[in-house]
Amino acid sequence: MDPLIGMGALALMGAAATIAGASEDLESDIGSQSNPNSQVQLAPQMSYPHRIYNKAISGEPPSNALMCTIGGTVAYVMLNFNVSVVLALTIGSLVAAMVHGTYATTAYMGRCSSQKRFKQMVYLDVLRSHTPPIMGYSFITTFTILVVSYIMVTVFAHPFPLPLLAFIWGITVGAIGSSTGDVHYGAEREFQDVEFGSGLNTANSGKIVRKAESGLRSSMDNSWFCAKFGGPVTGIAFGMTVFLSGWITTVFDPSKGPAAGWESVIAGALIILVMIIYNRKMEVSARKEFGPYKEDKEEAA
Amino acid sequence: MIDIAGLIAENIIYVLLITLGGVLVSVSVHFVPVGGAPAAMAQACGIGTGTVQLAAGAGLTGLVTAGAMMGVTDNIGLVLASGTVGGMIMIAVTMIVGNWVYFYGVGCPAASAKVKYDPITKDRQDLYISQGTEGHAIPTVSFVSGVIGAGLGGLGGGLVYYALLKIGEVASGLTVKDIMSTTGHELVGLASIFAVGIFFMNAVIPSYNIGGTIEGFHDPKFKRWPRAAITSLVVTFLCAILAVVTLGGM
Amino acid sequence: MSAGGSGEAHAAIPQNQLIAFGIIGGLIGIYAAFFLSNVAGGVFSFMGALGAICATIWGAAAVRRVASYGLGTGVPSIGMLALGMGVVAAMFGLAVAEGFGLAIAGPLIALVVASIIGLLIGIFANKVLRMNIPVMEQSMTEIAASGTILIIGLSVAMTGTFLFDVVLEDVITTGYIAVIFIAGGMALLHPFNANLGPDEKQDRTLYNALEKGAIAMIIAGIVALSVQNASVGMVTVLIGIFLWYYGFTGFYARVKRDAFKVVGTGLLPSEEELE
Repeated sequence: MDPLIGMGALALMGAAATIAGASEDLESDIGSQSNPNSQVQLAPQMSYPHRIYNKAISGEPPSNALMCTIGGTVAYVMLNFNVSVVLALTIGSLVAAMVHGTYATTAYMGRCSSQKRFKQMVYLDVLRSHTPPIMGYSFITTFTILVVSYIMVTVFAHPFPLPLLAFIWGITVGAIGSSTGDVHYGAEREFQDVEFGSGLNTANSGKIVRKAESGLRSSMDNSWFCAKFGGPVTGIAFGMTVFLSGWITTVFDPSKGPAAGWESVIAGALIILVMIIYNRKMEVSARKEFGPYKEDKEEAA
Repeated sequence: MIDIAGLIAENIIYVLLITLGGVLVSVSVHFVPVGGAPAAMAQACGIGTGTVQLAAGAGLTGLVTAGAMMGVTDNIGLVLASGTVGGMIMIAVTMIVGNWVYFYGVGCPAASAKVKYDPITKDRQDLYISQGTEGHAIPTVSFVSGVIGAGLGGLGGGLVYYALLKIGEVASGLTVKDIMSTTGHELVGLASIFAVGIFFMNAVIPSYNIGGTIEGFHDPKFKRWPRAAITSLVVTFLCAILAVVTLGGM
Repeated sequence: MSAGGSGEAHAAIPQNQLIAFGIIGGLIGIYAAFFLSNVAGGVFSFMGALGAICATIWGAAAVRRVASYGLGTGVPSIGMLALGMGVVAAMFGLAVAEGFGLAIAGPLIALVVASIIGLLIGIFANKVLRMNIPVMEQSMTEIAASGTILIIGLSVAMTGTFLFDVVLEDVITTGYIAVIFIAGGMALLHPFNANLGPDEKQDRTLYNALEKGAIAMIIAGIVALSVQNASVGMVTVLIGIFLWYYGFTGFYARVKRDAFKVVGTGLLPSEEELE
């Protein structure tokens, strides 16, 4: 393969993956999914009933894998009928978004009605107003993941079939989304009323913010907030993962021989080393900026 | 008619490789610093997600890169190394960006609650834990531990996939290169889904072992790894034999 | 991810009945589809998906039973474990049966093998990993077995048969096995996960399982459009949509029954209501 074409395709993959990461995170924030949702789940028990969407569709990795795989499967079926690629990926994503909508709806209804004793109501207007944006974001995520998988199969001749690649990238985007962007939602937005600059005190567990600038807070407000930081950085994380793991084998093409292959491995190892050092620098600067929370009693004594 | 005993005897080396791969995946999960749900609220040290999911994310990224590498070469060292590096890159990026969110989005420094001093950097930890939490973010020791874990996971996943394809190669009388040159060969599909299945089983077993959260190799829970390794050894060995018969009997 | 409460969940339908329903319904569906595959161009392959739905309901009930003790990590893990075990056992069962010239026994062999793997993991989970969940051994066996029936059932719905070479060609090589894996796994784990809470009711959870199983059936039908032919696929999709509708309305009726209130819109409950 021409290295320039490889680089171009890789750049496209990286861009698509960045969008996928960002929309994945906002999709999980708008519905309150995965780990931060434990607080939304806990809130009614602490006498904090709320109007937040309780979208407990398993963890994010399986739920994203589900929609991406369904999208990939439907697209692959359509490709077998010689439908154009763009149309096939679009219809696939559409079916995936619809399925995702049913999962979101049943999760909201099921979780809320299982909290009868805490007087948590099922608000149908929350369902009506939030489910379409959830489906919209899931459409974007599925479509971009399918673009990544399709490029891998066609341009980079990856041996795995399209639905399986979509499955794996779905798991990965979910894993990244739930470990990065979700923290912004869980640790900051859900507890915006406590002082900035600390983790959630266990004593405050479940006491989520339920009121907004005007009226009651909805999950729509949460995705507005997370779109400022949590969503974009998730995009960067997934984009970087897809880009860097492809970059090393595009620059040092292992099909040219084992030597180039080992160079690609060394390049990957160097990238990891740089990241460890960068993380250390960041850790030190954060410790210096924020300072310790308590005095050192041993030294004071 | 399948000669099961003969098949197993013939492929015993691959059975052992698959088993080793499964055990590696199982051990690798103990290295990955996951704080589970509390970490997502900066209430516990580690990455704010579930064990299985993160290990799967890292390991399967490794599987994709190993699969791509195996498409162009059958050098076992190269395949395994690329799987290792693929998993490591995924988790390193995830932890870096996770730390961005902890530092710049939530405003708390990295701190572990399980040790007083970071074993690698010798930094004091307990003073940096905010009130009512079990630490937050990903300190250097957890970061390094996570990179090791994802590397082992990618290595294990790659090893399982490599061994599965090799069994198919022996059975079908083709070389890996031949298999790869025909796009969408049945062996690739079967080997990859088997690898995914074995991977998931070995990611769930250790996460039950550690009860869903761990900070890394400095965590006292890390000492429990032999239990998960034994379980994985037995289960993966059984699966490896099933896989040999399935692939070899084709 | 809350890990569920602790203790045995109350079950209106005893687990033994659900086991019988899952195994018998599942196998009848799979074998009916297999033997009727030559009738009317294979339109009866939807029976395989019906078998898969029976297995889904059974598996979801088993997940509910074991996960209500609290697994220490999210409910999803057990669904992934189920399908991990299921996919290995299913492929082995179908392949080895065909290798011995007993293709017809494939699903049965797969079922037995899956039960053995599940039992093994269950024993190890309690004895070695010390999870100490009383129903662990039985539930793991059930979950692995139901996952296997699910995989074979959906494969039959896609291809019309469980002969290994056909399944290998049309389901594995094309990668459709990935969608069986995840759509099936989610159908097992989602019902209990989505209804988690102190006022969870078994029948509501199981209606949810029916609804999610039907979605897997619809997807299998879409695949059958290309693997078999348009009429087979359409029949499966249409029956799937009907079952989905039935499952969803049944689920929604139980939500209205069980919820504190189902309101079009409204504020939070007042202070007096919270007392």
